[in-house]
Amino acid sequence: MTRKTPQGRSNRPRLPIYLDYQATTPVDPRVLAAMLPYFTEKFGNPGSTSHSFGREAALAVENARGQLAEIIGADPREIVFTSGATESNNLAIKGAANFAHETRRHVITAATEHKCVLESCRALEDQGFRVTYLPVERNGLVDIQRLEDEIGDDTLLVSIMAVNNEIGVIQPLAEIGALCRAHGAYFHCDAAQAIGRIALDVDAMAIDLLSISGHKIYGPKGVGALYVRRRPRVRLAPLLSGGGQERGLRSGTLPTPLCVGIGIAATIAGAEMADEAARLRDLRERLYSGLKERIPDLVVNGDEEHRIAGNLNISFPGIDAEVLMENLGDLAVSTGSACTSASVEPSYVLRAIGLDDTLARASLRFGLGRFTQAAEIDYATQAIADAVERLRLGTAGFPAGERIESR
Amino acid sequence: MPKMVFIERDGTRKEVEAPIGLSVLEIAHRNDIDLEGACEGSLACSTCHVVVEPEWSDMLVEPTDDEEDMLDLAFGLTKTSRLGCQIKMTDELDGLTVRLPTGSRNMMLGD
Repeated sequence: MTRKTPQGRSNRPRLPIYLDYQATTPVDPRVLAAMLPYFTEKFGNPGSTSHSFGREAALAVENARGQLAEIIGADPREIVFTSGATESNNLAIKGAANFAHETRRHVITAATEHKCVLESCRALEDQGFRVTYLPVERNGLVDIQRLEDEIGDDTLLVSIMAVNNEIGVIQPLAEIGALCRAHGAYFHCDAAQAIGRIALDVDAMAIDLLSISGHKIYGPKGVGALYVRRRPRVRLAPLLSGGGQERGLRSGTLPTPLCVGIGIAATIAGAEMADEAARLRDLRERLYSGLKERIPDLVVNGDEEHRIAGNLNISFPGIDAEVLMENLGDLAVSTGSACTSASVEPSYVLRAIGLDDTLARASLRFGLGRFTQAAEIDYATQAIADAVERLRLGTAGFPAGERIESR
Repeated sequence: MPKMVFIERDGTRKEVEAPIGLSVLEIAHRNDIDLEGACEGSLACSTCHVVVEPEWSDMLVEPTDDEEDMLDLAFGLTKTSRLGCQIKMTDELDGLTVRLPTGSRNMMLGD
């Protein structure tokens, strides 16, 4: 009796299996249901408060603002809607820098930040700002001592993400916030991957600016938010000129259905966070232990303790992850950030935590989420282990065809 | 009597008498300085926005949330922006210098 093949399982899951929840998440059906009326009968412009259509929309937008504020312990007036976390990060970093700072001309960020943070900082360098790109330790965490050495009275802003999008590690936000506060620097936190995964409190963590994304929290794509602290007031120069919506920080008509969607998505994420994390931790452990049993030399990237439940980034020594993915046609996984995965460069995040190019190229990111099932994990575990074994034996010539024939 | 200085939009410095207890807005109006003050000091507009010279900024009482909210809407806001109606003259502020905003957000930058 040979071992069971994935095809032989009785509880075979629907294929393909989505294991890329850090790239994006599906809209939760409850979120979609809440959004739908605002596309059609409740279509008013939330800025048109002279009639009931507009007021109905404005009420919905303000309700969503409150929902976002609640999940991070903020005041609704501190929430600015944007088109997504990329815009939020741009607005936070460039907006803070462009608001007349004659003495503070230094910005600190980390080497493992998202591209839109790194590129925004790069743009500031062109304007004469000095930017420090902090290295991270092998576990992916910022070295607080190193941050303390670099931060000074000329530091305008420190931008450190809450949860890394590739390796899922959680940065020590409260410690970073306290350091920033002590030096009078703004603390900007890209929390796109953190909302609904970890508890966030802008006061306890001394966060001044915080970026939120809709589609990472089972809400719609095309909407995000930026938290902007009111006391002490954080002032930003807007990126867009226009009608002065969102306290003048983000002109443009608000997309009511998307605002409603991100608001309810945040509320659901907050309410179900603990249960979801426990469930995902079990599933991740199931995936990890299943793989480890068959591939004992695999390496987990990123701190094992300070990480979110739904992420597992693994290096398979001696394997080319691109080839491995080609052998995993039924699995939607990735080698890293969707935003940079078009490039042939190995992940800069993995290199930043000390992986050499070969090992970085041997790494896959598994993202588990709200709709991941145990049967999917079992199928994936077996498929991955089978493929790695085949590749190592050099018998993986036509794996896709082989599998199609056997169906 | 204390004095204060308005730097007008064309750069002209105008030194005026600044009776204790009066607001910068009231002092401006007494001296024909072109500072609007549409809501007459009731924190409902930002038309009396002035830019306090940096060396004076720290000597002022911190702005309230209401003042900050109005400043959010001011044109050409800077780090040391205040509403003229909220700065009350005291002995310590003798020599206070404020600039009428020109509208450029980056006026504090450069030389």
